Amino acid sequence: MRVLSLLVEDGPNTLTKVAGAIRRRGFHVRGISVGPAREAGQSRITLEIDHGHAEADQVRKQLERVVEVLEVEDLTENAVHTRELVVAKVAGSELNGLLERGAKVLLQGADGTTVEFSGESKEVGEFVDELARHGVVDVVRSGPVVMRRTA
Amino acid sequence: MVLEALEREGVDYIFGYPGGANLPIYQHLAEFPKLKHILVRHEQGAAHMADGYARACGRPGVVFATSGPGALNLVTGLCTAYMDSVPMVAITGQVVSTQVGRDAFQESDVIGATSSVTKHSYLVTKIDQLPRVIHEAFHIATTGRPGPVLIDICKDVQQAEADGVTPDRSPAARKADFDIPGYRLNGHVNLSEARRAAEALSRAERPVILAGHGVLLSHAEAQLQDLAEAAAAPVGTTLLGIGSFPVKHPLSLHMTGFMGTGWNLKAVQNADVLMMVGMRVDDRVTARLADFAPKVKTFIHIDIDGSEMGKNVRPQIELVADAKQALAAMQPHVGSLDGGRSEWLTQIDRWREEHPLRYKHSNGHLQPQDVLIDMYRRADNEAIVVADVGQNQIWAALWWNYDRPGLFINSGGAGTMGFALPAALGAKFARPDLPVWCVAGEGGFVMTAQELSVAVEHQLDVKIVLLNNFSLGMVRQFQDDFYGGIRSQVDLTHMPDFVKLSEAYGMPAMRVEKFADIAPAFDAAERTRGPFLIDFRIDPEANVYPIVPLGKSLNEFWEMPEK
Repeated sequence: MRVLSLLVEDGPNTLTKVAGAIRRRGFHVRGISVGPAREAGQSRITLEIDHGHAEADQVRKQLERVVEVLEVEDLTENAVHTRELVVAKVAGSELNGLLERGAKVLLQGADGTTVEFSGESKEVGEFVDELARHGVVDVVRSGPVVMRRTA
Repeated sequence: MVLEALEREGVDYIFGYPGGANLPIYQHLAEFPKLKHILVRHEQGAAHMADGYARACGRPGVVFATSGPGALNLVTGLCTAYMDSVPMVAITGQVVSTQVGRDAFQESDVIGATSSVTKHSYLVTKIDQLPRVIHEAFHIATTGRPGPVLIDICKDVQQAEADGVTPDRSPAARKADFDIPGYRLNGHVNLSEARRAAEALSRAERPVILAGHGVLLSHAEAQLQDLAEAAAAPVGTTLLGIGSFPVKHPLSLHMTGFMGTGWNLKAVQNADVLMMVGMRVDDRVTARLADFAPKVKTFIHIDIDGSEMGKNVRPQIELVADAKQALAAMQPHVGSLDGGRSEWLTQIDRWREEHPLRYKHSNGHLQPQDVLIDMYRRADNEAIVVADVGQNQIWAALWWNYDRPGLFINSGGAGTMGFALPAALGAKFARPDLPVWCVAGEGGFVMTAQELSVAVEHQLDVKIVLLNNFSLGMVRQFQDDFYGGIRSQVDLTHMPDFVKLSEAYGMPAMRVEKFADIAPAFDAAERTRGPFLIDFRIDPEANVYPIVPLGKSLNEFWEMPEK
């Protein structure tokens, strides 16, 4: 699995071409998030990619060939901050297990409670497991957002 | 606006077909006499013509097509050019920008359909984007590892008033145009790596160099020969690398790969250092990857595209650079081992004697090899030879005999049947000074035979060598050898009379059925100005040898059975 941070042109063809380059080489996207970058006209794509039978570095190299891709940073095994967001609605009213983990209540109603939680992928995974014990009605997870850790 | 930009880029020929969505461009075509437009008979023909043009002269081929089916008919041609790294700029008409996405008449998602077979593509919805896009497209198509670039231009943009968007032609502005942030060009040779590569090659006991299309694209033939001679290293070529090294050179290993020569495969499989220049090292070169060149301690890979490094074979020394510059940087550090090397070269000579190219001379049928040997004798190191795909392609490759670099054009990566005729016509437009021979089987030939009209209309002096065996020969051979001998859907008995077909198009042709008639037919072809077709009725059982059975290693190549 590779974790890549892409700086791309914010254009109508970009996502198709990035996705096409990934699909064509037999890679598989496990996680993705897209948002505006610091500079206008650019977006940041964070990808978690399974590189299949190819050499790990092929993912970066193939993405670098896409002209709409301005920068590729392979963050795998680097010191990084990773955050994923989960928003979930649970039926139960007993929320201690969730609140202890740091969940924030967004809305409380007669038919359940909506909470949000963010953390590293592993923590989010554990949080989602915990949700099951609270009668989960719906759950939505974002893709990962990753930034290199610098002091 | 489009046409002005093309003129600025120095375009001379455009291969195209008009339609609803590119009418505004065609309306003004006659105002640009420097742009010679060749009206093809099918858009695929336009793409292959532009491809042949580009391969023959190195300048990008330019293609026009309309939206929808017109653009989609280019896909095979774009893929052919993409797989073989051929510079091309395809300009397609798109429906009016406000109609995009409404399933308008002849609308198709051309960017979506072509993005996996183009180096880059643009959808132009505003006139002010156009000058930069066209300039960029030519830059991207021709630099680094070349490839096709597609520009899809909405019809309203084509007919928009161009006032106020005339491009700035100052050198600074042109330089700025080339500053494309996401376009990474590799070209600078890492000198210490070049030195390491040279030393590894020099120290090798059993070196082999394999040369691919990249050597031809970078015009590095002289550098390759200098280096090989200095290192006393034998040189084989890939199918697309044919022409990059003289076949009659004492160091030549001729063609490599699963239909390569026996002595080449022996050399590759016994080499201790293998240097691969300007090539992708695909499955046709390696056969079973796990057993490819098993004795090699040091793989050296030179390619301008960094993503080729380790894509198939992991090199110990990699040079991501232009082949010419990389070879030149290696040259001062190259020598050859005394003594030890002569043993290796003697061994290769022995393999060359043990595994010669052979074919049946005298079974009563006309042999394709006899036809090609006579053709190459006449080509005399000069003519451009364009082959189609299948047995004809491999025979034409294996009997290539130039003792200096030359041009052998064929669809290697994509293996596109129907490529040869339009590509040969494109090559002739590009190089009217050189004879052009088109070698094709009847199966591929009929896929694009409508382009004979173009040959006749422009009286192009292209000689068509049709190797007609009334079957899909390569598929038939595979079925015979590897699929239980069950012949399935390979019979092409029902084909037109190719002499009459040629005459119907308005060009002369002859039929040849026996050996004695080969030379007179070629004489007649050479005496004729303009296109000429010879329908050679060849041995329907003639096969390609050597051949490595599918899924086997290069060691396991089959030679022509004795019987």
